[in-house]
Amino acid sequence: MGFSTEFRTLAVQSLHEDAASRKDEGWRYVQMLAVNNDESVDLVYSYMKDGLLDNAVIEALPKDAEVPSITDLYLEAFVCENEIHDLFGITFKGLAIDFLGNFYRVSTDVPMTIISPEKLAEREKQRKLAEKKAKAEAAKQAKEAAVEGSSDASDVDPQAASADAELEAKLAAMPPEKAAKVRAAMEAKAAKAKKGTEGEGA
Amino acid sequence: MGKATVIPFGPQHPVLPEPLHLDLVVQDETVVDCLPQIGFVHRGLEKLVETRDYNQFIYVAERICGICAMGHSLGYAETVESLMDIEVPSRAEYLRVIWHELSRIHSHLLWLGLAADAFGFESMFMHCWRLRERILDIFEKTTGGRVILSVVRVGGVNRDIEDSELKVICQTLDGIKGEYQQIMDTLLTDMSVKNRTVGVGTLSHEQAVALSMVGPFARASQVNYDVRTFGKGAYRALTEFQPILDAQGDCYARVKVRCLEVLQSIDIIKELAAKIPAGDISVKVKGNPEEGARAANVLEQPRGECYYYAQGNGTKFLERMRMRTPTSQNLAGMVEALKGADLADVNMIILTIDPCISCTER
Repeated sequence: MGFSTEFRTLAVQSLHEDAASRKDEGWRYVQMLAVNNDESVDLVYSYMKDGLLDNAVIEALPKDAEVPSITDLYLEAFVCENEIHDLFGITFKGLAIDFLGNFYRVSTDVPMTIISPEKLAEREKQRKLAEKKAKAEAAKQAKEAAVEGSSDASDVDPQAASADAELEAKLAAMPPEKAAKVRAAMEAKAAKAKKGTEGEGA
Repeated sequence: MGKATVIPFGPQHPVLPEPLHLDLVVQDETVVDCLPQIGFVHRGLEKLVETRDYNQFIYVAERICGICAMGHSLGYAETVESLMDIEVPSRAEYLRVIWHELSRIHSHLLWLGLAADAFGFESMFMHCWRLRERILDIFEKTTGGRVILSVVRVGGVNRDIEDSELKVICQTLDGIKGEYQQIMDTLLTDMSVKNRTVGVGTLSHEQAVALSMVGPFARASQVNYDVRTFGKGAYRALTEFQPILDAQGDCYARVKVRCLEVLQSIDIIKELAAKIPAGDISVKVKGNPEEGARAANVLEQPRGECYYYAQGNGTKFLERMRMRTPTSQNLAGMVEALKGADLADVNMIILTIDPCISCTER
């Protein structure tokens, strides 16, 4: 028997009906979990039959959402439902064994929905990197436009064009941060050279 | 029937190595209902995924539980590899399974010792743990660690085992097998053990299926479910693998299934050691999991199926990492097994379920 997994999207309105049909068809309940987003929470329900691990994803639930419990069908889900209630704040209606928020003795309410300072710092870092990348991309496009403009006016050296293409390929393979630094250095060098030429001309 | 009384059991109790609390509703000496309570050692390790990158988190994963350390690092690594489409070298797959099966032997021997101690069979406890020491010696020799092994990495393993060393391991296991067979025969035929376990805490096949139970607890009720039959990794190289089942569903059946699984694991290790291919033990992992990418995976831990989930966000940190452990899945079954039991048998029933609270609370 092989093993495979699949993910599918499920509407919260169909959650209980879906669990009931899974139960009728002989699927095992495997687990349920929650994923915290900035403004919402996703729920993932997993069932298994004949080596197929089926994961039903309910996306973008409000953080204080109430969803139907499946413990009337799968009693064993009471552990996960109480856990999600305590850690993520989702309420399950009709929970067979309800600990009323006392399943885990957590010192902070809904701790898994708190976005940690480390995560915020990482996001800021990613945002800056993306900004740098966008700037570099814009500079690249401007340069290409300039080359195209000059090629209309005069013939471009084919060797120089192929060297440029090679350089662009190398830059594309580099990490974005490093590529941005190299581009900045090249632009500075080009500006310096241009200034020098203008000076000579004067 | 007398008046119903609630008797608290745990979280501190001589048979419980970890904190678990039960409110036992008792009439006369019979348990009529039970409410389990955990949450005394919840550590929030899943949250740490925000501050440890996907390579570092493997060391957090294996610290979820000392007994299942190898399994957790393996399950986590397999999930991240699935998330990033990484193909692990064949030799690494074999080495992972060899260490994982050794870990199963060590877990079952540890449990058997604790169970024997609870029977009042202290010399048996010492013999089981003496044999377990020899498994830990193999770990120490091959990985440098005895409990936390740190050999699995995303993309393979950190250490190789020389073929000559594999031969020594097989010889050691042959030696252990002979001694273990004696212990097992004594345990399974001893009258006092049978008196405490036969017909106690019975869970029918129908109940076990309805409660989606896993591991030896389920297999002792004739539930033919073992993740190893899916043939993932080096398990596909096994000539034949049949889960060990028993139809009785009582404490004795659970003891028997675990006892026989030790012998099965020894056979698996010997077969894989004979077939292990030469080659690399890891591949270089580049890049980060893609934003929104999801992967789910299951692994047969000593206590049963463990579920792993990973979600990427385009950075080196995962957006979400989740583990659903076998004990968490078996809590409902434990409640059912306790209903109708004699109060004096509660400790025996809990022990034969082999709950792992560290795993459950992560």
